[in-house]
Amino acid sequence: MAGIYDDVVEVARRTMVLFFVVDTSGSMEGAKIGTLNQAIEDIIPEITDISENNADAEIKVAVLEFSNGAKWITPTPIPAQDFTWAYLNSGGMTDFGEACKELNEKLSRNSFMSDITGSFAPAIFLLSDGAPTDNYQPNLEALQQNNWFKKAIKVAVAIGSDANKDVLAEFTGNAEGVLTVHSPEALKKMIRFVSVTSSQIGSRSAAVGNTAPDEVVSKQNVFLEQVNVAYNNGDFEDESIEW
Amino acid sequence: MPGLNKGDIIALKNGKTAKICSKLGEGGQGSVFLAEINEKKYALKWYHKGTVKQPDIFYRNLENNIEQGSPSDAFVWPIYLTVKNDGEFGYVMNLMPNNYKSFTDFLLTKEKFSSISVVVNAALNITNAFRELHRRGFSYQDLNDGNFFIDPKTGDVLICDTDNVAPYGEALGIAGKARYMAPEVVRNITAPDVMTDRFSLAVILFRLLFLDHPLEGKRTLCPCLTEKLEQKFYGVSPLFIYDPYDTSNIPVRGVHCNVIRLWKYYPKFIKDKFIYSFSQECLHGSQRRLTDNDWQIAFTRLRDCIITCPCGSETFIDLKADSSVCINCGRKIPRPPVLKSKKYAAALFPGNKLYRCHTIEDSDDYTEVTASVVRSKNRPNVWGLRNLSDNTWNVTLKDGTTTEVPNGKVQIIVNAHKIDFGNCIGELEF
Repeated sequence: MAGIYDDVVEVARRTMVLFFVVDTSGSMEGAKIGTLNQAIEDIIPEITDISENNADAEIKVAVLEFSNGAKWITPTPIPAQDFTWAYLNSGGMTDFGEACKELNEKLSRNSFMSDITGSFAPAIFLLSDGAPTDNYQPNLEALQQNNWFKKAIKVAVAIGSDANKDVLAEFTGNAEGVLTVHSPEALKKMIRFVSVTSSQIGSRSAAVGNTAPDEVVSKQNVFLEQVNVAYNNGDFEDESIEW
Repeated sequence: MPGLNKGDIIALKNGKTAKICSKLGEGGQGSVFLAEINEKKYALKWYHKGTVKQPDIFYRNLENNIEQGSPSDAFVWPIYLTVKNDGEFGYVMNLMPNNYKSFTDFLLTKEKFSSISVVVNAALNITNAFRELHRRGFSYQDLNDGNFFIDPKTGDVLICDTDNVAPYGEALGIAGKARYMAPEVVRNITAPDVMTDRFSLAVILFRLLFLDHPLEGKRTLCPCLTEKLEQKFYGVSPLFIYDPYDTSNIPVRGVHCNVIRLWKYYPKFIKDKFIYSFSQECLHGSQRRLTDNDWQIAFTRLRDCIITCPCGSETFIDLKADSSVCINCGRKIPRPPVLKSKKYAAALFPGNKLYRCHTIEDSDDYTEVTASVVRSKNRPNVWGLRNLSDNTWNVTLKDGTTTEVPNGKVQIIVNAHKIDFGNCIGELEF
C-alpha cells in the first residue's frame, strides 16, 4: 500500500560551516594542544546532535591549522556526523597570515561554500596562544574584505597571557569576540561553550522579535550577548593551574 | 556553573519537592531534567540564569498559566512551579510519551506519516489546540518546528514549549525564528500576538502537508542567507512560492522536491486557503488572516473527501465531479454518494466515518465518531451507514416512506433520501 508520504525526501537544509582555525606553533606544545585536541573531540557529538535535530541547517566542520605555513586538515567541510577529530601536533612558527590567506581562498562560493541549497554565514573559531611570526597584515586585510568573513560569527580564544589579543581582536572585529583562558580546565569549558553556542546560533534561522523596527540583529551580536550571560554567571571562572 | 545535578532536591511552590534523576536535553534557555515527585516521573525545565529577559514577569506568567490550567490536552502545560533559587527557577510538566515524534524529525524524514489521514488529523489537532488556546485569551508567540510532537500512526499531537504562552496583549520578549514568524514580527513592528500566531500556524500547516517552506523558492536560493536577507525574505518582502500573480519565487526542481510532488495531489479548495493565507495582503496583514476555526472547518472538509481506493491507498474525491482518479493507481473512481449537512459534505465510501460535527447541528467536534460506512458482508456492492450515535435516526427513503435506525443498526445508503440524525438533517446526493 503506497502513500504519498512514503517517498518524501529530507527538506533542503542550508549549510553552516563551523571552522576551527588552530595555532599549532611550538608554544602550543604539551597541555595546551593536548587539552585542545581532547576538548574538540569531546564536543563533536554535541555538534552532531545540534545538526541532526535541526531542520534549518546542517552543520559541517572544517579545520585549518597554522604553524610553519597553514594546512587544511579537512580537504572540504565535513558533515558533523561524519567528522572525527584528528589529533593535532605542535611545532614551528606562528604563520597567522598564511592562515588568513587560506581562509580567504576557501571562503568562496567556488570553494568551501558551494552547497546548492545555500548556506548560513559560517562560524569561525580561532584558537591561539601567541603572536604572528609572519607579515600577516596584507592577508588579514584581504580576508576582512571577504563577504563570507564579514558576515561570519567570529570568535577567538587567547590561550594564556602571551597571546596577542590585539591581533585576535583584529580578526574578530572587536575585543568582545576575544575570550581569554588561563588553564586547561578553562580552555576545555571555553571550547565547549564557543563550539556549541556558535553552532546553535549560526545554524538556525535568525532570532527576531526583540529589537527596534527594521533593525537587523547580527548573529555575531547574539553570540556576544550569550558570552556576556555566561561571564556574568561565572561559567568561565577557574582557579586551577595557570599557564 | 548553572544548572542542576543528579540527586538535587528542588523545592516546589506547592510545598512538594522534586528529585532530579537525569538530564534529558538542553536548549538555549535552559535544560530539561527527568525528575521524580511522589515517586512519579515528570520533566522539569530549569532556566539558566540570565537567559530569561524579565525573570520576575516570566515567573509570574508561568504561575498564572499553571493557575489557569491547560486549554487542551494537546499542550504539554506547566503543572508545578519551583521555588526560586538564587535567581534560577523552573517548572514541572508531564513527560513526552515515546510514540510522539518531533515535527523536525518529519521534516528530516527520520519519521514519515503513514497516510494522508494522519497528516490531516494532525492538522486538525493542531488547529483545534490553537483555537482552544486563543479562546482562553492566550497567545503562543513562538511557533516553530521544534514545538510540535506528532504520533506518525494516528496524527495525535502534543505541543510543548508552552512557557512563552501569555495572555492576549502581553509579550514576554521572546525571540522567535524568522522562518516561522509573521512578517511584522520579523521586522519588529509588532510584538507576537494572536494575529501573528495565525500566520505562524499557516506556515506550520503548510509544512505539515508539503514539508517545504511556503516562502522559500527560487528567489530565496541565495549562496549565503544573512540576517539581513532573512529580514527581506520573511519580513520586508516575503513572497509565496505559488503566488498566482508573481512566479519569481517558484519551487526549484531538485531542491524543493516535496512541495513540487505533493502540491498537485491536494484538492483546490485547500490549496486556495494557502494561496489566500500567503497572499501579499495577508502576509502584510492588510487582509484578515484565517482563524483557527476557519482552518478547523477546512481540514474537516478535507478529511470528508479522503477515501481508501480498492488499491489500498488513500486518495481524494472531488465531490463536485462525476469521477476522480486515484493518486496512487490511477483508477477512475465514480463519485460515491455524498451526505450534505449544513456545513459539510462527506463522501460515503466504505471505511469513511461521520463525526458529531456532521450529525449534530452546530457541533464542531471532529473527534467523536457517530456513523461509519460499511460494506455488506455477503453483497459487498451494497454500502450501508451504521448508526454509532446514541440517537435513533429517522430516515426518509427514496419512495417517501420513513424508517427508524437505532444505534448499531445499518441503513442501506442507496435507498435513503434524507436522514434526521436527531437535531440535524443530512441529505444524500447521488
